[in-house]
Amino acid sequence: MTDPSCSDRPILVVAGLTVGFETAAGRVMAAEDVSFCLRQSETLALVGETGCGKSVVASAIMKLLPRNASVRGHAEFAGRDLLARSEKEMAEIRGKEIAIVFQNPSLALNPIIRIAEQVAEPLQVHEHASRHKSIKTAEEMLHRLGLGSREAHMYPFQFSGGMNQRAMIATSMILTPKVIIADEPSHGLDAGLVDETMKEMMKIKEQIGSSLLLITHDLTLARRFSERMAVMYCGEIVETGKSEEIFNKPLHPYTRALLDCLPERGFHPIPGSSPSMINPPAGCKFRPRCPHAGERCMKRPRIVEGAEKDCDREVRCWLY
Amino acid sequence: MSEAAITGKAPEVIWKSKSWCIGFILFLSFLLMALFAAEIAPYDPWARFEPYQPPGSEHILGTNDMGHDILSELIYGSRASLLAGFGAAILATFIGTLVGLAAGYFKGMTDEALMGITDIFLMIPQIPLIIVLAAFLRPSLYLIAIIMGLLWWTSTARVVRSKTLQVREMGYVQAARSLGFSDPHIILTDVLPNILYVIMPKFLLAIASAMIAEASISFLGLGDITMKSWGMMINNAFNRGGFINGYWWWYLTPGLCITLFVLCVVLMGCAFEEQENETMRLQ
Amino acid sequence: MLAVLRAEKVGLVYESGLIFKSRHTVLKGITLELQEGRTLGLLGASGSGKSTLGRILAGQQRPTSGRVLFDGEDIWLMPKGERSAYKKQVQMVFQDPEGSLNPRKSIERSIHEVLALLKVPPGKWQSRTKEAFEMVGLSEDLLCRRPAQISGGQCQRVALARVLLLRPRVVILDEPTSALDISVQAQILNLLKELQSDLGLAYLLISHQPEVISFMAHETLCLEGGEIV
Repeated sequence: MTDPSCSDRPILVVAGLTVGFETAAGRVMAAEDVSFCLRQSETLALVGETGCGKSVVASAIMKLLPRNASVRGHAEFAGRDLLARSEKEMAEIRGKEIAIVFQNPSLALNPIIRIAEQVAEPLQVHEHASRHKSIKTAEEMLHRLGLGSREAHMYPFQFSGGMNQRAMIATSMILTPKVIIADEPSHGLDAGLVDETMKEMMKIKEQIGSSLLLITHDLTLARRFSERMAVMYCGEIVETGKSEEIFNKPLHPYTRALLDCLPERGFHPIPGSSPSMINPPAGCKFRPRCPHAGERCMKRPRIVEGAEKDCDREVRCWLY
Repeated sequence: MSEAAITGKAPEVIWKSKSWCIGFILFLSFLLMALFAAEIAPYDPWARFEPYQPPGSEHILGTNDMGHDILSELIYGSRASLLAGFGAAILATFIGTLVGLAAGYFKGMTDEALMGITDIFLMIPQIPLIIVLAAFLRPSLYLIAIIMGLLWWTSTARVVRSKTLQVREMGYVQAARSLGFSDPHIILTDVLPNILYVIMPKFLLAIASAMIAEASISFLGLGDITMKSWGMMINNAFNRGGFINGYWWWYLTPGLCITLFVLCVVLMGCAFEEQENETMRLQ
Repeated sequence: MLAVLRAEKVGLVYESGLIFKSRHTVLKGITLELQEGRTLGLLGASGSGKSTLGRILAGQQRPTSGRVLFDGEDIWLMPKGERSAYKKQVQMVFQDPEGSLNPRKSIERSIHEVLALLKVPPGKWQSRTKEAFEMVGLSEDLLCRRPAQISGGQCQRVALARVLLLRPRVVILDEPTSALDISVQAQILNLLKELQSDLGLAYLLISHQPEVISFMAHETLCLEGGEIV
């Protein structure tokens, strides 16, 4: 399945990614037939609510899922399928070519090693830079994210959650990777700080020319900082397109309902509740909550490309 | 989406853990040995036979200087040693938990006062105290166990207090206080179940420590002569020519028993901690 | 309309140190009023002291200056029994929905223990639970599950159900939806509004999000550095 919007130099192409987990309660389909592509130097936001599978998609691409996960599909990066690569090859790619910033920064940092040293570590390991030089580069990077030289030489346990988050971002960007996957970068940060951190991150990203896959549940953040957006619901991508366009003219009923929930649109709730991942609804996953549900929705809808004369848009819905 | 989140049960890791299985089987064996000593032991440990016999067909571990069968002594000795161990551990854990919970939950003056008392108890040198008491009182196993219990609760109290301080700040404790539940109710239903995982290993290790301490005291000759604990056996072996004559079946076997028992208790304690870490991780 | 809960020049100062005392003023001269069936919004950034003010109004912390009046009576001058009755009438809903439920207790147990606290006879527990769940929009098949197995929104509803069982007159909502997804946030806020009109509850809504406050509150106060600005 080709995405027509990926005509200019896609750097990461995910096709038909399906992730299932074997658990004691049965098989859980965390992601089903997920396809998108990330172009050079662009920011794609993967948006969805808690439990929709967006973090799973990121972990699946990087082959970081536990053993009871079964992954099918393709994730092409620089011409080769990541999912077919060995652990050794992946270890080379991780951090250096594709960097991932996780949700819980405090857990990802070693509490007894100073921040500057941890940020400098990737440089020493992958590029064999000298200790002095790598720490200088690390300090510069931290400074750009708002952490001065005094803070750079402190320990993670002395930092607040927000400071740890910024340290993690610095660590991920220091090797100038081609792709950065940021999983909920605004988590734990105050509103003002989110803005600042994101702006700095985008500036650095522009400089090093990498692409950003922004995973977030914050629609407003996605709109501000991404060019294109993919909306996920219950493990599936239901709509893809330019961020502004999706906001102005949402096509999928879920996207419409989700936007209506926003404070600026009046906090209109979506009826019903999120479906169970173990026993999802048959056919279209949004069917039980959709105002336009019909007979045909008992069958899983296919993706419609170029919906509503917008060649950049894709929707998974029978309405189009 | 973790397994625990879906099924809601912490996986039964503890039964699958090798250390728990080995430890538990050993522990159970010792327990059964102590309970059914009369049935298992070949002879009455006080019955006299020919003394200083080496291991043979009639006496598998030979006889001691008084002609008592060593194997029977060993089996009956488990009673005394386990009694000392359990008695001291139960007392120490009980007092320690009470003090730790009160100090950690109520904080403020209660905490200061209780920690002050704890510090005082920590200053008391235990073995010298027991030696002094033994000099003035008739040493009995029960007394030794009680004294150990009364002196050892301090480390449990410290650990329980720090965990309680943590749990106390958790959302559900705050919510419970806001809803108006009484403090005893909150401590019993909200705090205690969540700190059990630190109490259990400490309890198990206390049994082991108590047993070794009792053996040491008996070895020094301050123990209860009327109860043939393993420590007493080692004491007799050394003082009555067992060591000099190389009667290894006399002094090694009780030592081995103590070692094995301590090992099984440590294994169970570790398995407990492992399981708790697993549960925390999955949550 | 007579105020249900009123704070008059409430202040809180922390003093530490034995010889060289250092004072830290958390709240200063707070005067506000909560009325039946109306919501007072309290807007402030983290660290402005809003959660502390919530706890003082709920009677869980004693202010160092000023008074808290419930139906005109100073709560700290009440005899202890009356004050516990007061505390039941002013309840709090917290920010972390999953955190406010004991992870080892099933939902059913968490609800039943509240009913036991209220000395409701066990025969009536099932019907009261059903009633409470209907009010907050939960299905009964959640009862056998644990907090880790249900969503954040559902946890918050369970917390609300527990609070409503006590039939309070005032509910202090401390960032009730900050930790929730957008669609769930909308659901919970609408539910809170419904409950207010059905039960005539007085709300103190504490939040750092102005949109949430303007959606729910009839009046707003801004808290900055411990003072009303």
